Amino acid sequence: MENKNLFQNLYLKQFNESNAIAYNERFVSGSSDYNFQLLDNAYRDVGRIYAKLKIAIETNNCMSEDCALELTGIKNLEESPQASLDFLSSLIAELGVTEESSFDLNNNYKYTAANSLMNGRPGFSKTDGYQAYLDLLPDGSQQIVFLGPAFETPLVINSAALNALLESDTSLVVSTPDINKDMLRLLTEVGLFAQDMIGENQELTATAKITEEYVMMNTDGSFDYEIIDLGNGKGRNVLKYDLEKIEKKVTPFINAEVAGLMSSEQDVIAAWNVYISKDTSVEEDAQMAQNANAGDTSWIYELDLPLQQDKKVLFEIKYKEYFMNNYLKQFTTNQLPTVKEDAAVFDLAEAKKAKAQKFLDDNDLN
Amino acid sequence: MIGAIIGGVASIAGGLFGSSAAKKRARAAAKEAKRLQNKLNNLEENRQDIVNPFQDMSAMISNPFANLSVATGAAEMKIEEADISLANTLDTIRSTGASAGGATALAQAALRSKKGVAASIEMQEKQNEDKRAAGEKQKQDALMQEGQRVQQGEAWEFAQREQRQMQELDRTAAMLGASRQAQAQAQSDQTGAMTGMFGSLAGIGGALLANGK
Repeated sequence: MENKNLFQNLYLKQFNESNAIAYNERFVSGSSDYNFQLLDNAYRDVGRIYAKLKIAIETNNCMSEDCALELTGIKNLEESPQASLDFLSSLIAELGVTEESSFDLNNNYKYTAANSLMNGRPGFSKTDGYQAYLDLLPDGSQQIVFLGPAFETPLVINSAALNALLESDTSLVVSTPDINKDMLRLLTEVGLFAQDMIGENQELTATAKITEEYVMMNTDGSFDYEIIDLGNGKGRNVLKYDLEKIEKKVTPFINAEVAGLMSSEQDVIAAWNVYISKDTSVEEDAQMAQNANAGDTSWIYELDLPLQQDKKVLFEIKYKEYFMNNYLKQFTTNQLPTVKEDAAVFDLAEAKKAKAQKFLDDNDLN
Repeated sequence: MIGAIIGGVASIAGGLFGSSAAKKRARAAAKEAKRLQNKLNNLEENRQDIVNPFQDMSAMISNPFANLSVATGAAEMKIEEADISLANTLDTIRSTGASAGGATALAQAALRSKKGVAASIEMQEKQNEDKRAAGEKQKQDALMQEGQRVQQGEAWEFAQREQRQMQELDRTAAMLGASRQAQAQAQSDQTGAMTGMFGSLAGIGGALLANGK
């Protein structure tokens, strides 16, 4: 199934970032009208309405019993400027998420277009066929309507609906959790590193190593090394880690991290789509996003919320894999010995001979 | 440009963007606090059990000498042999016509042999009783030691749990405190931005009232 949001968002992102508009002669040669004047238009007739209501009350000519409707109308109008500012600031905050570098392209693309319009981006002016209105509704709520080529159908957002969403800790546009920051912090929390390996910035220091408790040892207490071939007949020892023990140690912390993320299932979907599903990183070029990110395995906000148990389990498994492969693995591979003399480069043939001799000695085979 | 989009006086647009940024920070901080709370709840619910290395093993302490049996098999065989030997000898005495005094001597010898067997059993029983008593004393000593060890273990377990809970509580308080502080700061910034807009709002309201009169 074609993922329309993914394609449209990708197009808008590339359009905004590409500077292509600078090479559009029609745009360069003409002027663009960004005079949407949301507040001016919304309040243009308000004075007259307010006056009518006020006069009706003062002259006892109300349409409703005890002037109930008129009094409510007056109250709504008096509160409306503050409500407009609240509404617009909340809306701008929500739409701003579309500009984040890790923005999940599976969000509704209309919000990306609306953000471009609200920020006066080239190509989103009245001249380009866009329009936006703020309407004060009789029930005291307000609505904003966006129209234009990128919208296909008008995007309508009601202030009461937006408030209700925000009050229930739900976002109109979800901000993707910073998985990189979370996992770097998680590294310091899983109990594999000594306290002095954690820097002032609460991240691991450049020289951090997993504690020896998780390094494989021989029965005589010496380190059990793995020999790596450096080429030209030379080799060197690297530490071997007890990966099973490490996994057992880190798993409860990873599970707790996932439980934290699950406090917002929107966030889980965003993290899945942007990072976890296909082991991608935010640094990847946007051009690649379509294929590299979750793409056809994306979870769709409209369809997959609330998350089913099987998806939660799958997320937990993949989150753990992501952490183990992209963050922890570097500390369990190619780690040089801590014993200085064991860290030196040596002749591979001699080392093999010595190893064979040790085997013969240990097993009384001489 | 932004002013043209929003409309009203210029300070409204600036204030709106300042306020929206503060709102965003406040929401992010609130979200972070919620995430941390869930994470810590999970850690607390699923933390590994504290394994007490001093756990009670008194059930494993027993007196190995409590039920020693007396080895009567050999004694019974010895008695049987003595009886057979006596019967055979009596038969010989009868067939050879020996005196009654010889038979009496034989019977006495057999009796002595049986008495010896009884004494051996008695001695074994005495030895077993001694062993049982010694074993019981060892058991009581071991139980006493185990009791003291278990008390030590309970104190250790309490200390571990206390330490762990305190660490988690401290951490929770620190992290949640920081998130809530960030949230409060963001809300305060938002109020500041809104206050800046009130002048402009007064403009809208003033116009509204002026038109109304």
